[in-house]
Amino acid sequence: MALTSDDARRIADYARIAVDEGDLGQLADYLNNMMETLAPIKEFDLEGVEPTFHPIGDLTNVMREDEPGKSLPIELALKNAPQTSDRYFRVPTILGGQE
Amino acid sequence: MSFSLDSLSAVELSKLIKSGGVSAKEVTEQAYSLIESRDDKVQAFLELTEDLAFSAAQKIDEARAKGEELPALAGVPMAFKDNMNLIGTHTTCASKMLEGFESVYTATCVQNMLEAGGIPLGKLNLDEFAFGSSTETSYYQTTKNPHDLERVPGGSSGGSAASVAAGESLITLGSDTGGSIRQPAAFCGVVGLKPTYGTVSRYGVVAFASSLDQVGPFSKTVEDNAYALQALAKKDPRDVTSQNITADFISQLTGDIRGKKIGVVSSMIEAKGVSEETKRALRKAQEHLKDLGAELIEVELPHAESAMSAYYVIGPAEAFSNLSRFDAVRYGHQAKASNLGDQTSHSRYEGFGPEVRRRILLGSYILSSELYHEYYYPAQQVRTLITKDYTDAFEKCDVILMPCSPRTAFKFGEIDDPTEMYLSDMFTVSINIAGNGGISLPIGFGDESGLPIAAQLVCPAFKDADLLKVAHALEGCYPKVEVAKIMKAGE
Repeated sequence: MALTSDDARRIADYARIAVDEGDLGQLADYLNNMMETLAPIKEFDLEGVEPTFHPIGDLTNVMREDEPGKSLPIELALKNAPQTSDRYFRVPTILGGQE
Repeated sequence: MSFSLDSLSAVELSKLIKSGGVSAKEVTEQAYSLIESRDDKVQAFLELTEDLAFSAAQKIDEARAKGEELPALAGVPMAFKDNMNLIGTHTTCASKMLEGFESVYTATCVQNMLEAGGIPLGKLNLDEFAFGSSTETSYYQTTKNPHDLERVPGGSSGGSAASVAAGESLITLGSDTGGSIRQPAAFCGVVGLKPTYGTVSRYGVVAFASSLDQVGPFSKTVEDNAYALQALAKKDPRDVTSQNITADFISQLTGDIRGKKIGVVSSMIEAKGVSEETKRALRKAQEHLKDLGAELIEVELPHAESAMSAYYVIGPAEAFSNLSRFDAVRYGHQAKASNLGDQTSHSRYEGFGPEVRRRILLGSYILSSELYHEYYYPAQQVRTLITKDYTDAFEKCDVILMPCSPRTAFKFGEIDDPTEMYLSDMFTVSINIAGNGGISLPIGFGDESGLPIAAQLVCPAFKDADLLKVAHALEGCYPKVEVAKIMKAGE
Protein backbone atom coordinates (compact mmCIF):
# COMPACT_ATOMS: atom_id res chain seq x y z
CA MET A 1 0.00 0.00 0.00
CA ALA A 2 1.36 3.40 -0.96
CA LEU A 3 2.63 5.67 1.78
CA THR A 4 0.69 8.85 2.53
CA SER A 5 1.84 12.25 3.77
CA ASP A 6 0.92 11.14 7.28
CA ASP A 7 3.23 8.13 6.94
CA ALA A 8 6.05 10.39 5.73
CA ARG A 9 5.54 12.60 8.80
CA ARG A 10 5.66 9.56 11.10
CA ILE A 11 8.90 8.33 9.48
CA ALA A 12 10.48 11.78 9.75
CA ASP A 13 9.48 11.99 13.42
CA TYR A 14 11.18 8.68 14.04
CA ALA A 15 14.34 9.94 12.27
CA ARG A 16 14.20 13.13 14.38
CA ILE A 17 13.94 15.40 11.36
CA ALA A 18 11.40 18.20 11.29
CA VAL A 19 9.50 18.52 8.01
CA ASP A 20 7.83 21.30 6.17
CA GLU A 21 4.16 20.42 5.75
CA GLY A 22 4.45 21.39 2.09
CA ASP A 23 7.20 18.79 1.50
CA LEU A 24 5.32 15.81 2.91
CA GLY A 25 3.62 14.85 -0.35
CA GLN A 26 6.91 14.95 -2.24
CA LEU A 27 8.64 12.87 0.45
CA ALA A 28 5.87 10.27 0.33
CA ASP A 29 6.25 10.14 -3.48
CA TYR A 30 10.00 9.66 -3.13
CA LEU A 31 9.59 6.83 -0.63
CA ASN A 32 6.93 5.17 -2.79
CA ASN A 33 9.17 5.43 -5.88
CA MET A 34 12.10 3.97 -3.97
CA MET A 35 10.05 1.10 -2.61
CA GLU A 36 9.02 0.29 -6.16
CA THR A 37 12.67 0.52 -7.31
CA LEU A 38 13.79 -1.73 -4.48
CA ALA A 39 10.99 -4.26 -5.00
CA PRO A 40 13.22 -6.73 -6.94
CA ILE A 41 14.86 -7.53 -3.62
CA LYS A 42 11.66 -9.35 -2.65
CA GLU A 43 11.63 -11.53 -5.74
CA PHE A 44 14.67 -13.70 -5.06
CA ASP A 45 14.52 -17.27 -3.97
CA LEU A 46 16.42 -16.81 -0.74
CA GLU A 47 15.42 -20.03 0.93
CA GLY A 48 18.41 -21.27 2.93
CA VAL A 49 20.65 -18.32 1.94
CA GLU A 50 22.54 -16.96 4.93
CA PRO A 51 22.81 -13.15 5.15
CA THR A 52 26.17 -11.37 4.87
CA PHE A 53 26.05 -8.35 7.12
CA HIS A 54 29.65 -7.46 6.53
CA PRO A 55 32.00 -7.96 3.54
CA ILE A 56 34.85 -9.30 5.62
CA GLY A 57 32.69 -11.51 7.77
CA ASP A 58 35.07 -14.44 7.31
CA LEU A 59 38.02 -12.57 8.75
CA THR A 60 38.76 -12.15 12.41
CA ASN A 61 38.37 -8.88 14.21
CA VAL A 62 41.54 -6.88 14.73
CA MET A 63 41.82 -6.85 18.51
CA ARG A 64 44.19 -5.08 20.86
CA GLU A 65 45.01 -5.37 24.53
CA ASP A 66 42.57 -3.43 26.67
CA GLU A 67 45.05 -0.84 27.82
CA PRO A 68 44.11 2.71 28.65
CA GLY A 69 45.30 5.16 26.01
CA LYS A 70 45.13 8.91 25.54
CA SER A 71 41.67 10.38 25.06
CA LEU A 72 40.68 13.65 23.48
CA PRO A 73 41.31 16.51 25.95
CA ILE A 74 38.08 18.04 27.24
CA GLU A 75 38.70 21.42 25.63
CA LEU A 76 39.06 19.78 22.21
CA ALA A 77 36.01 17.58 22.75
CA LEU A 78 34.00 20.72 23.54
CA LYS A 79 35.57 22.85 20.82
CA ASN A 80 32.80 22.40 18.26
CA ALA A 81 29.88 22.29 20.67
CA PRO A 82 27.28 24.98 19.97
CA GLN A 83 26.72 25.52 23.71
CA THR A 84 28.87 24.54 26.65
CA SER A 85 28.79 25.17 30.35
CA ASP A 86 32.01 24.72 32.28
CA ARG A 87 33.25 21.26 31.24
CA TYR A 88 29.92 20.08 29.85
CA PHE A 89 27.77 20.17 26.74
CA ARG A 90 24.75 22.33 27.38
CA VAL A 91 21.28 21.27 26.20
CA PRO A 92 17.85 22.77 26.62
CA THR A 93 15.35 21.17 28.94
CA ILE A 94 14.48 17.62 28.00
CA LEU A 95 10.91 17.51 29.29
CA GLY A 96 8.54 20.39 28.80
CA GLY A 97 9.02 23.56 26.82
CA GLN A 98 10.81 25.99 29.12
CA GLU A 99 14.56 26.45 29.40
CA MET B 1 65.05 25.38 -12.91
CA SER B 2 61.83 25.47 -14.82
CA PHE B 3 59.42 22.64 -14.25
CA SER B 4 55.74 22.10 -14.86
CA LEU B 5 53.49 20.12 -12.54
CA ASP B 6 51.20 19.55 -15.54
CA SER B 7 53.76 17.35 -17.22
CA LEU B 8 54.90 15.35 -14.19
CA SER B 9 53.46 12.37 -12.36
CA ALA B 10 53.70 12.31 -8.56
CA VAL B 11 56.48 9.71 -8.70
CA GLU B 12 58.44 11.74 -11.27
CA LEU B 13 58.02 14.91 -9.24
CA SER B 14 59.20 13.28 -6.05
CA LYS B 15 62.29 11.96 -7.80
CA LEU B 16 63.01 15.46 -9.11
CA ILE B 17 62.73 16.88 -5.59
CA LYS B 18 64.98 14.16 -4.17
CA SER B 19 67.62 14.87 -6.82
CA GLY B 20 67.56 18.56 -5.93
CA GLY B 21 66.11 19.57 -9.30
CA VAL B 22 63.38 21.56 -7.57
CA SER B 23 62.46 22.38 -3.97
CA ALA B 24 59.22 21.40 -2.27
CA LYS B 25 58.63 25.11 -1.67
CA GLU B 26 58.80 25.87 -5.40
CA VAL B 27 56.41 22.98 -6.05
CA THR B 28 53.97 24.31 -3.46
CA GLU B 29 54.15 27.80 -4.94
CA GLN B 30 53.41 26.47 -8.41
CA ALA B 31 50.54 24.32 -7.11
CA TYR B 32 48.86 27.33 -5.49
CA SER B 33 49.44 29.43 -8.56
CA LEU B 34 47.68 26.75 -10.65
CA ILE B 35 44.84 26.63 -8.15
CA GLU B 36 44.53 30.40 -8.31
CA SER B 37 44.19 30.42 -12.07
CA ARG B 38 42.06 27.26 -12.41
CA ASP B 39 39.91 26.78 -9.35
CA ASP B 40 37.70 29.78 -10.11
CA LYS B 41 36.49 27.69 -13.03
CA VAL B 42 36.53 24.22 -11.48
CA GLN B 43 35.68 25.02 -7.86
CA ALA B 44 37.10 21.80 -6.51
CA PHE B 45 38.46 23.26 -3.26
CA LEU B 46 36.36 24.13 -0.24
CA GLU B 47 39.37 25.24 1.79
CA LEU B 48 43.02 26.02 1.06
CA THR B 49 45.64 25.32 3.70
CA GLU B 50 48.70 27.35 2.68
CA ASP B 51 50.18 27.38 6.18
CA LEU B 52 50.08 23.60 6.48
CA ALA B 53 51.38 23.16 2.94
CA PHE B 54 54.34 25.52 3.20
CA SER B 55 55.26 24.14 6.61
CA ALA B 56 55.27 20.58 5.17
CA ALA B 57 57.32 21.78 2.20
CA GLN B 58 59.84 23.45 4.50
CA LYS B 59 60.29 20.22 6.47
CA ILE B 60 61.01 18.32 3.27
CA ASP B 61 63.47 20.91 2.00
CA GLU B 62 65.24 20.97 5.38
CA ALA B 63 65.40 17.17 5.53
CA ARG B 64 66.91 17.10 2.06
CA ALA B 65 69.45 19.77 2.96
CA LYS B 66 70.52 17.63 5.91
CA GLY B 67 70.94 14.64 3.64
CA GLU B 68 68.10 12.67 5.25
CA GLU B 69 66.29 10.03 3.26
CA LEU B 70 63.00 11.42 1.97
CA PRO B 71 59.73 9.44 1.96
CA ALA B 72 58.34 7.93 -1.25
CA LEU B 73 56.04 10.81 -2.21
CA ALA B 74 58.07 13.68 -0.78
CA GLY B 75 56.84 17.04 -1.98
CA VAL B 76 53.79 15.80 -3.88
CA PRO B 77 50.87 18.27 -3.83
CA MET B 78 47.86 16.46 -2.39
CA ALA B 79 44.36 17.32 -1.27
CA PHE B 80 41.65 15.53 0.65
CA LYS B 81 37.92 15.03 0.35
CA ASP B 82 36.25 17.20 2.94
CA ASN B 83 34.84 14.27 4.88
CA MET B 84 38.36 13.53 6.13
CA ASN B 85 39.64 15.19 9.29
CA LEU B 86 42.90 17.07 9.32
CA ILE B 87 43.94 19.18 12.31
CA GLY B 88 44.15 22.80 11.29
CA THR B 89 41.30 22.51 8.78
CA HIS B 90 37.54 22.52 8.79
CA THR B 91 35.74 19.31 7.91
CA THR B 92 32.31 20.14 6.54
CA CYS B 93 31.20 17.13 4.48
CA ALA B 94 29.95 19.92 2.17
CA SER B 95 27.04 20.34 4.57
CA LYS B 96 25.56 23.29 6.40
CA MET B 97 25.38 20.87 9.33
CA LEU B 98 29.16 21.02 9.75
CA GLU B 99 29.77 24.61 8.66
CA GLY B 100 32.76 25.87 10.64
CA PHE B 101 33.52 22.47 12.21
CA GLU B 102 37.20 22.37 13.20
CA SER B 103 38.98 19.02 13.04
CA VAL B 104 40.30 18.06 16.45
CA TYR B 105 42.29 15.10 15.17
CA THR B 106 43.63 13.83 11.86
CA ALA B 107 42.23 10.86 9.93
CA THR B 108 44.68 7.95 9.67
CA CYS B 109 44.49 7.93 5.84
CA VAL B 110 45.41 11.63 5.71
CA GLN B 111 48.18 11.13 8.27
CA ASN B 112 49.60 8.26 6.20
CA MET B 113 49.71 10.43 3.08
CA LEU B 114 51.42 13.24 4.99
CA GLU B 115 53.97 10.79 6.37
CA ALA B 116 54.60 9.63 2.81
CA GLY B 117 55.69 13.20 2.06
CA GLY B 118 52.45 14.79 0.81
CA ILE B 119 51.99 18.57 0.76
CA PRO B 120 48.43 19.23 2.01
CA LEU B 121 46.99 21.88 -0.32
CA GLY B 122 43.45 21.85 1.07
CA LYS B 123 40.07 20.16 1.31
CA LEU B 124 37.88 19.17 -1.62
CA ASN B 125 34.21 19.44 -2.44
CA LEU B 126 31.83 16.47 -2.41
CA ASP B 127 28.17 15.67 -2.51
CA GLU B 128 26.76 16.52 0.91
CA PHE B 129 27.83 13.72 3.27
CA ALA B 130 28.89 11.82 0.11
CA PHE B 131 25.26 11.21 -0.93
CA GLY B 132 25.24 11.69 -4.67
CA SER B 133 26.81 11.01 -8.04
CA SER B 134 27.41 14.52 -9.36
CA THR B 135 28.67 16.72 -6.47
CA GLU B 136 25.57 18.85 -7.13
CA THR B 137 24.25 18.29 -3.60
CA SER B 138 27.14 20.19 -1.96
CA TYR B 139 25.78 22.99 0.21
CA TYR B 140 28.67 25.27 -0.72
CA GLN B 141 29.47 25.18 -4.42
CA THR B 142 29.16 23.30 -7.66
CA THR B 143 32.34 21.64 -8.85
CA LYS B 144 32.72 21.59 -12.65
CA ASN B 145 34.17 18.89 -14.85
CA PRO B 146 37.55 20.24 -16.04
CA HIS B 147 36.96 18.68 -19.49
CA ASP B 148 33.68 20.55 -19.98
CA LEU B 149 32.64 23.16 -17.44
CA GLU B 150 28.97 22.67 -18.27
CA ARG B 151 29.15 19.09 -17.05
CA VAL B 152 29.31 17.46 -13.64
CA PRO B 153 32.56 15.95 -12.36
CA GLY B 154 30.68 12.93 -11.03
CA GLY B 155 30.41 12.16 -7.38
CA SER B 156 30.45 11.95 -4.57
CA SER B 157 34.23 12.60 -4.63
CA GLY B 158 33.80 15.14 -7.46
CA GLY B 159 36.28 17.63 -6.02
CA SER B 160 38.95 14.94 -5.65
CA ALA B 161 38.61 13.82 -9.29
CA ALA B 162 38.29 17.34 -10.74
CA SER B 163 41.31 18.66 -8.86
CA VAL B 164 43.59 16.00 -10.37
CA ALA B 165 42.06 16.39 -13.85
CA ALA B 166 42.57 20.17 -13.62
CA GLY B 167 46.21 19.69 -12.65
CA GLU B 168 45.78 21.40 -9.27
CA SER B 169 46.78 18.35 -7.22
CA LEU B 170 48.78 15.28 -8.20
CA ILE B 171 47.20 12.90 -5.70
CA THR B 172 43.89 13.29 -3.88
CA LEU B 173 41.93 11.04 -1.58
CA GLY B 174 38.28 10.19 -1.90
CA SER B 175 35.89 7.74 -0.31
CA ASP B 176 33.79 5.18 -2.15
CA THR B 177 30.58 3.68 -0.79
CA GLY B 178 28.92 2.71 -4.06
CA GLY B 179 31.18 4.18 -6.74
CA SER B 180 32.10 7.56 -5.29
CA ILE B 181 35.76 7.28 -6.30
CA ARG B 182 35.44 5.29 -9.52
CA GLN B 183 32.56 7.15 -11.20
CA PRO B 184 34.02 10.68 -10.78
CA ALA B 185 37.43 9.34 -11.86
CA ALA B 186 35.69 8.02 -15.01
CA PHE B 187 33.91 11.33 -15.67
CA CYS B 188 37.10 13.36 -15.19
CA GLY B 189 39.47 11.00 -17.03
CA VAL B 190 41.79 10.14 -14.14
CA VAL B 191 42.71 6.95 -12.30
CA GLY B 192 40.57 6.20 -9.22
CA LEU B 193 40.95 3.20 -6.96
CA LYS B 194 38.56 1.74 -4.43
CA PRO B 195 40.78 -0.72 -2.60
CA THR B 196 39.43 -3.94 -1.12
CA TYR B 197 37.31 -3.29 1.97
CA GLY B 198 39.64 -3.45 4.99
CA THR B 199 42.74 -2.19 3.16
CA VAL B 200 42.58 1.45 4.29
CA SER B 201 41.62 2.74 7.73
CA ARG B 202 38.50 4.90 7.90
CA TYR B 203 39.38 6.38 11.29
CA GLY B 204 38.69 10.11 11.11
CA VAL B 205 36.62 9.84 7.93
CA VAL B 206 32.97 10.76 8.43
CA ALA B 207 31.03 7.52 8.04
CA PHE B 208 28.30 7.00 5.43
CA ALA B 209 27.66 3.24 5.28
CA SER B 210 30.14 1.40 7.44
CA SER B 211 29.96 -1.99 5.74
CA LEU B 212 30.61 -0.37 2.32
CA ASP B 213 32.86 2.69 2.84
CA GLN B 214 36.47 2.55 1.70
CA VAL B 215 39.06 5.29 1.14
CA GLY B 216 41.22 5.39 -1.98
CA PRO B 217 43.44 7.59 -4.16
CA PHE B 218 43.02 9.55 -7.40
CA SER B 219 45.98 10.26 -9.67
CA LYS B 220 46.98 10.73 -13.30
CA THR B 221 48.85 7.42 -13.44
CA VAL B 222 48.42 3.89 -12.10
CA GLU B 223 51.95 4.05 -10.71
CA ASP B 224 51.09 7.11 -8.60
CA ASN B 225 48.02 5.26 -7.40
CA ALA B 226 50.10 2.25 -6.39
CA TYR B 227 52.51 4.47 -4.42
CA ALA B 228 49.57 6.12 -2.68
CA LEU B 229 48.03 2.76 -1.82
CA GLN B 230 51.36 1.56 -0.46
CA ALA B 231 51.28 4.49 1.96
CA LEU B 232 47.60 4.01 2.82
CA ALA B 233 47.41 0.24 3.32
CA LYS B 234 48.36 -0.05 6.95
CA LYS B 235 46.66 -1.75 9.82
CA ASP B 236 45.16 0.81 12.19
CA PRO B 237 44.10 -0.23 15.69
CA ARG B 238 41.53 2.57 15.53
CA ASP B 239 39.55 0.88 12.73
CA VAL B 240 38.80 -2.75 13.53
CA THR B 241 38.10 -3.49 9.87
CA SER B 242 41.62 -2.52 8.81
CA GLN B 243 43.72 -5.54 8.01
CA ASN B 244 47.41 -6.24 8.10
CA ILE B 245 48.37 -5.79 4.44
CA THR B 246 51.79 -7.05 3.39
CA ALA B 247 51.39 -6.72 -0.39
CA ASP B 248 53.92 -4.78 -2.46
CA PHE B 249 51.82 -2.77 -4.90
CA ILE B 250 54.72 -1.13 -6.71
CA SER B 251 57.04 -3.97 -7.71
CA GLN B 252 54.16 -5.63 -9.58
CA LEU B 253 53.98 -2.87 -12.18
CA THR B 254 56.09 -4.55 -14.82
CA GLY B 255 53.76 -4.20 -17.78
CA ASP B 256 53.94 -7.94 -18.31
CA ILE B 257 50.50 -9.53 -17.97
CA ARG B 258 51.07 -12.45 -20.31
CA GLY B 259 48.96 -15.38 -19.18
CA LYS B 260 46.78 -13.29 -16.84
CA LYS B 261 43.18 -14.34 -17.05
CA ILE B 262 40.82 -11.43 -17.56
CA GLY B 263 37.14 -12.11 -16.98
CA VAL B 264 34.90 -10.18 -19.34
CA VAL B 265 31.26 -9.54 -18.38
CA SER B 266 29.80 -9.09 -21.86
CA SER B 267 26.26 -8.87 -20.53
CA MET B 268 27.26 -5.64 -18.75
CA ILE B 269 29.39 -4.19 -21.54
CA GLU B 270 26.67 -4.80 -24.11
CA ALA B 271 23.81 -3.89 -21.74
CA LYS B 272 20.99 -1.61 -22.82
CA GLY B 273 21.69 1.77 -21.29
CA VAL B 274 25.43 1.64 -21.94
CA SER B 275 26.26 4.27 -24.55
CA GLU B 276 27.51 3.02 -27.92
CA GLU B 277 30.82 4.89 -27.62
CA THR B 278 31.41 3.31 -24.20
CA LYS B 279 30.76 -0.13 -25.68
CA ARG B 280 33.21 0.54 -28.52
CA ALA B 281 35.89 1.76 -26.10
CA LEU B 282 35.49 -1.31 -23.91
CA ARG B 283 35.72 -3.65 -26.91
CA LYS B 284 38.94 -1.87 -27.86
CA ALA B 285 40.25 -2.35 -24.29
CA GLN B 286 39.62 -6.08 -24.66
CA GLU B 287 41.68 -6.13 -27.85
CA HIS B 288 44.52 -4.34 -26.06
CA LEU B 289 44.44 -6.86 -23.22
CA LYS B 290 44.58 -9.69 -25.73
CA ASP B 291 47.51 -8.03 -27.52
CA LEU B 292 49.30 -7.80 -24.17
CA GLY B 293 49.10 -11.58 -23.93
CA ALA B 294 46.26 -11.81 -21.42
CA GLU B 295 43.65 -14.49 -21.82
CA LEU B 296 40.07 -13.23 -22.04
CA ILE B 297 37.47 -15.42 -20.40
CA GLU B 298 33.74 -14.83 -20.48
CA VAL B 299 32.30 -14.68 -16.94
CA GLU B 300 28.86 -14.03 -15.56
CA LEU B 301 27.70 -12.16 -12.49
CA PRO B 302 24.02 -13.09 -12.54
CA HIS B 303 23.10 -11.25 -9.33
CA ALA B 304 25.13 -8.10 -9.91
CA GLU B 305 22.14 -6.45 -11.60
CA SER B 306 20.28 -6.79 -8.32
CA ALA B 307 23.09 -4.97 -6.56
CA MET B 308 21.32 -1.64 -7.06
CA SER B 309 18.33 -2.68 -5.01
CA ALA B 310 20.52 -4.28 -2.32
CA TYR B 311 22.69 -1.16 -2.22
CA TYR B 312 19.77 1.25 -1.84
CA VAL B 313 18.50 -0.84 1.04
CA ILE B 314 21.82 -1.32 2.86
CA GLY B 315 23.34 2.14 2.15
CA PRO B 316 20.50 4.32 3.46
CA ALA B 317 19.90 1.96 6.42
CA GLU B 318 23.51 2.31 7.54
CA ALA B 319 23.52 6.04 6.75
CA PHE B 320 20.41 6.51 8.89
CA SER B 321 22.28 4.93 11.77
CA ASN B 322 25.58 6.78 11.18
CA LEU B 323 23.95 10.19 10.77
CA SER B 324 22.04 9.85 14.02
CA ARG B 325 25.17 11.22 15.69
CA PHE B 326 24.29 14.67 14.36
CA ASP B 327 22.22 15.73 17.33
CA ALA B 328 23.31 19.41 17.48
CA VAL B 329 24.70 18.95 20.99
CA ARG B 330 28.34 17.94 20.61
CA TYR B 331 28.90 19.62 17.25
CA GLY B 332 26.99 20.69 14.20
CA HIS B 333 24.36 23.26 13.29
CA GLN B 334 22.03 24.07 16.14
CA ALA B 335 18.55 25.49 15.66
CA LYS B 336 16.89 27.59 18.32
CA ALA B 337 14.34 25.59 20.29
CA SER B 338 13.00 25.47 23.81
CA ASN B 339 13.34 21.73 24.37
CA LEU B 340 15.81 19.06 23.36
CA GLY B 341 13.46 17.14 21.04
CA ASP B 342 12.62 20.20 18.97
CA GLN B 343 16.25 21.30 18.99
CA THR B 344 17.31 17.97 17.51
CA SER B 345 14.66 17.75 14.82
CA HIS B 346 14.86 21.41 13.76
CA SER B 347 18.67 21.35 13.71
CA ARG B 348 18.60 18.28 11.49
CA TYR B 349 16.00 19.85 9.20
CA GLU B 350 17.99 23.07 8.85
CA GLY B 351 21.45 21.49 8.78
CA PHE B 352 20.89 18.63 6.32
CA GLY B 353 20.10 19.28 2.66
CA PRO B 354 17.15 17.63 0.85
CA GLU B 355 19.07 14.58 -0.48
CA VAL B 356 20.56 13.81 2.93
CA ARG B 357 17.12 14.09 4.54
CA ARG B 358 15.63 11.86 1.86
CA ARG B 359 18.21 9.12 2.38
CA ILE B 360 17.88 9.28 6.17
CA LEU B 361 14.13 8.92 5.83
CA LEU B 362 14.53 6.02 3.44
CA GLY B 363 16.90 4.29 5.87
CA SER B 364 14.58 4.99 8.77
CA TYR B 365 11.66 3.45 6.88
CA ILE B 366 13.63 0.41 5.70
CA LEU B 367 14.69 -0.36 9.25
CA SER B 368 11.15 -0.11 10.61
CA SER B 369 9.80 -3.41 11.93
CA GLU B 370 7.39 -3.93 9.03
CA LEU B 371 10.08 -3.57 6.37
CA TYR B 372 13.09 -5.10 8.06
CA HIS B 373 12.13 -8.64 7.06
CA GLU B 374 10.76 -7.59 3.69
CA TYR B 375 13.76 -5.52 2.51
CA TYR B 376 16.71 -5.26 4.91
CA TYR B 377 17.25 -8.92 5.73
CA PRO B 378 16.74 -10.07 2.10
CA ALA B 379 19.23 -7.41 0.94
CA GLN B 380 21.85 -8.97 3.19
CA GLN B 381 20.99 -12.40 1.76
CA VAL B 382 21.34 -10.98 -1.75
CA ARG B 383 24.76 -9.70 -0.66
CA THR B 384 25.69 -13.34 -0.06
CA LEU B 385 24.60 -14.22 -3.64
CA ILE B 386 26.49 -11.29 -5.16
CA THR B 387 29.62 -12.18 -3.21
CA LYS B 388 29.31 -15.78 -4.38
CA ASP B 389 29.01 -14.62 -8.01
CA TYR B 390 32.36 -12.88 -7.67
CA THR B 391 33.94 -15.85 -5.87
CA ASP B 392 32.76 -18.18 -8.64
CA ALA B 393 33.96 -15.82 -11.38
CA PHE B 394 37.38 -15.45 -9.75
CA GLU B 395 37.85 -19.20 -9.87
CA LYS B 396 38.16 -18.72 -13.63
CA CYS B 397 40.03 -15.40 -13.81
CA ASP B 398 42.38 -13.03 -11.99
CA VAL B 399 40.73 -9.71 -12.75
CA ILE B 400 37.34 -8.78 -14.23
CA LEU B 401 36.75 -6.08 -16.87
CA MET B 402 33.44 -4.23 -16.94
CA PRO B 403 32.09 -0.73 -17.57
CA CYS B 404 32.54 1.87 -14.84
CA SER B 405 29.78 4.26 -15.81
CA PRO B 406 27.11 3.60 -18.45
CA ARG B 407 27.87 6.94 -20.07
CA THR B 408 30.17 9.97 -19.99
CA ALA B 409 29.69 13.01 -17.74
CA PHE B 410 26.22 14.54 -17.94
CA LYS B 411 25.26 18.23 -17.89
CA PHE B 412 24.28 20.08 -14.76
CA GLY B 413 20.60 19.62 -14.04
CA GLU B 414 20.29 16.99 -16.78
CA ILE B 415 19.25 14.35 -14.25
CA ASP B 416 16.87 15.83 -11.71
CA ASP B 417 15.05 12.69 -10.61
CA PRO B 418 16.96 11.21 -7.65
CA THR B 419 16.01 7.63 -8.53
CA GLU B 420 17.35 8.11 -12.08
CA MET B 421 20.56 9.61 -10.67
CA TYR B 422 21.06 6.42 -8.66
CA LEU B 423 21.52 4.48 -11.93
CA SER B 424 24.89 6.24 -12.42
CA ASP B 425 26.28 3.69 -10.00
CA MET B 426 24.80 0.59 -11.62
CA PHE B 427 28.20 -0.96 -12.43
CA THR B 428 30.07 0.10 -9.32
CA VAL B 429 27.84 -0.78 -6.35
CA SER B 430 28.18 -4.56 -6.53
CA ILE B 431 31.91 -4.25 -5.82
CA ASN B 432 31.24 -2.42 -2.55
CA ILE B 433 28.62 -4.96 -1.63
CA ALA B 434 31.05 -7.84 -2.16
CA GLY B 435 33.98 -5.85 -0.71
CA ASN B 436 36.34 -6.41 -3.68
CA GLY B 437 38.83 -3.90 -5.03
CA GLY B 438 37.92 -1.91 -8.15
CA ILE B 439 39.73 0.64 -10.27
CA SER B 440 38.52 3.14 -12.82
CA LEU B 441 41.03 3.53 -15.63
CA PRO B 442 40.82 6.11 -18.44
CA ILE B 443 40.59 4.41 -21.85
CA GLY B 444 40.48 7.43 -24.08
CA PHE B 445 37.77 9.85 -25.14
CA GLY B 446 34.35 9.06 -26.55
CA ASP B 447 34.26 9.14 -30.35
CA GLU B 448 30.90 10.95 -30.14
CA SER B 449 31.03 13.01 -26.95
CA GLY B 450 34.76 13.76 -26.87
CA LEU B 451 34.59 13.16 -23.10
CA PRO B 452 36.64 10.74 -20.98
CA ILE B 453 35.59 7.08 -20.90
CA ALA B 454 36.79 4.55 -18.33
CA ALA B 455 37.08 0.83 -17.93
CA GLN B 456 36.52 -0.72 -14.54
CA LEU B 457 38.74 -3.56 -13.42
CA VAL B 458 37.80 -5.63 -10.38
CA CYS B 459 39.90 -7.99 -8.26
CA PRO B 460 39.23 -10.60 -5.59
CA ALA B 461 39.50 -9.34 -2.01
CA PHE B 462 43.04 -8.28 -1.11
CA LYS B 463 44.42 -8.91 -4.60
CA ASP B 464 44.74 -5.18 -5.27
CA ALA B 465 48.36 -5.62 -6.36
CA ASP B 466 47.12 -7.78 -9.24
CA LEU B 467 44.50 -5.18 -10.07
CA LEU B 468 47.08 -2.42 -10.29
CA LYS B 469 49.36 -4.64 -12.35
CA VAL B 470 46.71 -5.25 -15.01
CA ALA B 471 45.55 -1.60 -14.93
CA HIS B 472 49.15 -0.44 -15.37
CA ALA B 473 49.70 -2.69 -18.38
CA LEU B 474 46.44 -1.60 -20.00
CA GLU B 475 47.23 2.06 -19.27
CA GLY B 476 50.35 1.67 -21.42
CA CYS B 477 48.15 1.05 -24.48
CA TYR B 478 46.71 4.59 -24.31
CA PRO B 479 48.20 8.08 -24.58
CA LYS B 480 49.41 9.52 -21.29
CA VAL B 481 46.66 11.15 -19.21
CA GLU B 482 47.02 14.90 -19.63
CA VAL B 483 45.60 17.76 -17.61
CA ALA B 484 42.25 18.79 -19.15
CA LYS B 485 42.96 21.00 -22.19
CA ILE B 486 40.63 23.86 -21.31
CA MET B 487 42.43 24.27 -18.00
CA LYS B 488 45.59 25.31 -19.79
CA ALA B 489 43.85 27.68 -22.19
CA GLY B 490 44.66 31.31 -21.60
CA GLU B 491 47.45 30.65 -19.10
